[in-house]
Amino acid sequence: MLTVFPFILFSLKIIASILLVLFSAFLADAQVCSLTISGHIEDVDTKEKLKAASVTIKETGMQRSTDDKGDFIFSGLCAGNYTLLITHIGCDPVEKKITLQKNYHFDVYMMHSRKELGNVIVEAKKNVANTGFKKDLSGNTLAETTGFTLAEALNKLNGVTMLQSGPTVSKPVIHGLHGNRILTINNGVRQEGQQWGNDHAPEIDPFIADKLIVIKGVDELRYGSDAIGGVILVEPKALRTIPGYTAELNTAYFTNNRQMVVSGLFEQQLKKHPAFHYRLQGTLKKGANVATPDYRLNNTGNEEQSFSLTAGWRKEKFSSELFYSYFATKLGIFTGSHIGNITDLENAIAAPKPDDVFLGQDTYTINRPYQDVTHHLLKSKSVFYKEGQKFTVLVSGQFNQREEYDIVRSSTNTRPQLDLSIYTFSEEISWEHLKKNNFNGVAGISLMQQDNSYSGRYFIPNYFSYSFGGYYLEKWSKHKWELQGGIRYDNKTINTTRLKFNGDTLNYDFNFSTLASSFNAIYKVKTGWRLNTNISLASRAPYVNELLSDGIHHGTATYEKGDINLQTEKSFNITTGINYQNKKNTFSFDVLLYSNHIRDFIYQQPMPEDPVLTIAGAFPLIEYKQTDAGLNGFDISASYKPVPAFEWSSKYAFLNARNKKTDDWLIWMPANRLTNEITYSFKENKAFTNTYISAEMKNVMEQKHVPDESNGKQDYKAPPPAYTLINMNASTKVSVFKVPTTIGIGVRNLLNTVYRDYLNSMRYFADEMGVNVSIRLKFQIL
Amino acid sequence: MKSNFLKLTLAVLLASSLFTSCDKNKEEANDEEVITTMKLTFVPVGGGSSLIYEFNDLDGPGGAAPTQDEIILAPSKTYNVTLQLLNKTETPAEDITVEVREESDAHRFYYETSPGSSITISGLDNDVNGVPLGIASTWTTGGAATGSIKITLRHYPAVPPNKAAGDLANSSKSSTDIEVIFNTRVQ
Repeated sequence: MLTVFPFILFSLKIIASILLVLFSAFLADAQVCSLTISGHIEDVDTKEKLKAASVTIKETGMQRSTDDKGDFIFSGLCAGNYTLLITHIGCDPVEKKITLQKNYHFDVYMMHSRKELGNVIVEAKKNVANTGFKKDLSGNTLAETTGFTLAEALNKLNGVTMLQSGPTVSKPVIHGLHGNRILTINNGVRQEGQQWGNDHAPEIDPFIADKLIVIKGVDELRYGSDAIGGVILVEPKALRTIPGYTAELNTAYFTNNRQMVVSGLFEQQLKKHPAFHYRLQGTLKKGANVATPDYRLNNTGNEEQSFSLTAGWRKEKFSSELFYSYFATKLGIFTGSHIGNITDLENAIAAPKPDDVFLGQDTYTINRPYQDVTHHLLKSKSVFYKEGQKFTVLVSGQFNQREEYDIVRSSTNTRPQLDLSIYTFSEEISWEHLKKNNFNGVAGISLMQQDNSYSGRYFIPNYFSYSFGGYYLEKWSKHKWELQGGIRYDNKTINTTRLKFNGDTLNYDFNFSTLASSFNAIYKVKTGWRLNTNISLASRAPYVNELLSDGIHHGTATYEKGDINLQTEKSFNITTGINYQNKKNTFSFDVLLYSNHIRDFIYQQPMPEDPVLTIAGAFPLIEYKQTDAGLNGFDISASYKPVPAFEWSSKYAFLNARNKKTDDWLIWMPANRLTNEITYSFKENKAFTNTYISAEMKNVMEQKHVPDESNGKQDYKAPPPAYTLINMNASTKVSVFKVPTTIGIGVRNLLNTVYRDYLNSMRYFADEMGVNVSIRLKFQIL
Repeated sequence: MKSNFLKLTLAVLLASSLFTSCDKNKEEANDEEVITTMKLTFVPVGGGSSLIYEFNDLDGPGGAAPTQDEIILAPSKTYNVTLQLLNKTETPAEDITVEVREESDAHRFYYETSPGSSITISGLDNDVNGVPLGIASTWTTGGAATGSIKITLRHYPAVPPNKAAGDLANSSKSSTDIEVIFNTRVQ
């Protein structure tokens, strides 16, 4: 903490002096024609920021287009009366009259051609759609992650890191928390797979998303009372609303592991049936073994096939959408990390590099050990509008199958050693009253039924769980204030059955009630400034693996044991944010401070004195225990454009995670990191648009905050040293035979740095991936 | 519109009750990889009754702790020893040694005695390539002593297996399938 304060102070000083200069510049010439009209345009339903909307001042003929963030600004205006005309494809035009005396900002919510609700809602207020804390990935930054996994893409956001098990398996971590403490919402549906495992990656194709969003705050309550870490929204773009079709083809190739990615999209709105629109989307991906700077890791290939289908029907006061997605992946597990017992593990860890028998094959073939995961999601969503009210009925079904193929003694064995199938059905009805008297609220009830069964090796039991819950959120906004509060209750019943060898069964039943509430206040001090504070209470029922897991985990050669007496985990979280953006959009900063106190925090405690003896030797025991944890940290970021073509941005994420009962650090928490990026955008011309080149330097510190060895040895190996990575990206958009084509080149680990990451369990055995150049092409046929 | 809404709600509830009534009693196959028992049969050279010593973990890994015999042998004697791996969760017990023998070029048993145990092990049988396998072995005892023996089954995952005569028990080419330590007594 101490080392960071000077850094903050220093940053604040710089910020303050820059602000002073800017403000004095504005004040100096406020008398002459230097007024501005700025605004922000969003879709009323999808909250999508509308870019390329045209805004014209009728009196002067001045015209602007909104940028990627849906913002526009006219500057150098004299005081007087103006009429603004706002148009966007597929929307009815909006006119707004303004008497300009001082700088003026307003928000516009446009509606895509649905006549019955009145054309648009125009509010002379600086309003943002999502109250609370929100970080998103879209546009160029999302495009740069083409071909990467969901967690690797989200890793671009400040405060979001990754938990990995080798190069193929990665999970997102938000402010130090992962797994069941994070909810992943796939196109509006809570993803229900096998998120509990540290080596179980989210079963989602990132190509589905037009935007990846991480939210914290009141809106989390819509999805559950257990989002202690946060919520990830995987948001596809809204279906096409004007007649015609769009086709898009994305391809990418990666040099390190010869990975190929092809993803296509086709969507159409039929002229004959204006109510009907649909989209087809699919992705194929295949990668060979991954190379570190010094050697290639055998059996680290990956394969993925996925597709989705969306069909929508829009009528007056009614719209309905059907969505189906299929996701299948086969992930190779590095052979040198599959461990027979503790002696083998210690031998492997002691070696500076993996044995040659595990290295050097350059092939797409995936052998044992590997994971084979499929996920199906079917969703139906219907929305009814009535007099400023919106009713939504959401029904969904999910099926997830996870098969883990271990190295087995007999080569004739073709069966998986761990086979988990989980069916989930959920139903939700919600009611929303659109903004009236400054109030805007939503309430809903939800039900979920889940059936999990296993075959093969026991790790978690068969179970049936049933849960019901209800929530109510209300938002009030006026002038500079925006207040939002919400409450949610959930009740979950779990009935478990374990079949023993001799035909006996072992049954345990559980019931958990969880309550969550949240309050958020935003105050806009003055134009450009925004203060935001959130206080949240969340609680999470223990998951089945925490209660009843009982088996060997081959990735870490440990014996994991659950505890049926675990209580719900309760968190009290305070988050405060300060944002600033100057009027010219050339400078901005964002500070987010958080303090998360989790009572009865469930964690894995190594029990070094208590090994489990099996016929394969002794395994170190890890038990699920509860403690009180305190996670305190901050994310800060700033960006500055000294000239329009050049942008510098910097972000720093800091986390302090304590086990309060043992007065020690928590294990497996992300190290602090600093990322600096410079981007140069080239002038647009007839042939090339959106052309830029960027370079990123990422410094990940050494994690020195690990449990003290005097409390029992908890880790096999000390955290790896700090490392610095250089990544680059370049992209341009050209027209090839009249087809708009985006060409991008990315380089990860440009200097081929040898490093290991604390949050990758492969750090025990091998280095991380070396230099990886990717080339991506995107064709759009409109 | 209202009636439509009600109809849909009803449909949803009906559908969910249908889903919930689904049966969950899926029969499951137990893990075929379970080995509960290591059985050592000692046949004294030159006659005498055979001895049997076992390691048993009848409920598999976890649960009840395994039980194991102490190996008690007579001094200055030679025994022909056969090792067997069994899965006693099935009736009759499944003999896993058969599978090991079928893929003898990918497996190898190691016998490591503690210093002063007064037991010498030799005469390991070979796999198809003439490299030691160790299902059969010869144990020779000296004077009275106590000690221990570690018996390890190593498995070569490489295709084809890269097993070589010089490989040690902790070779990184192979990984551990079985590791049992018996206390021994020569008396």
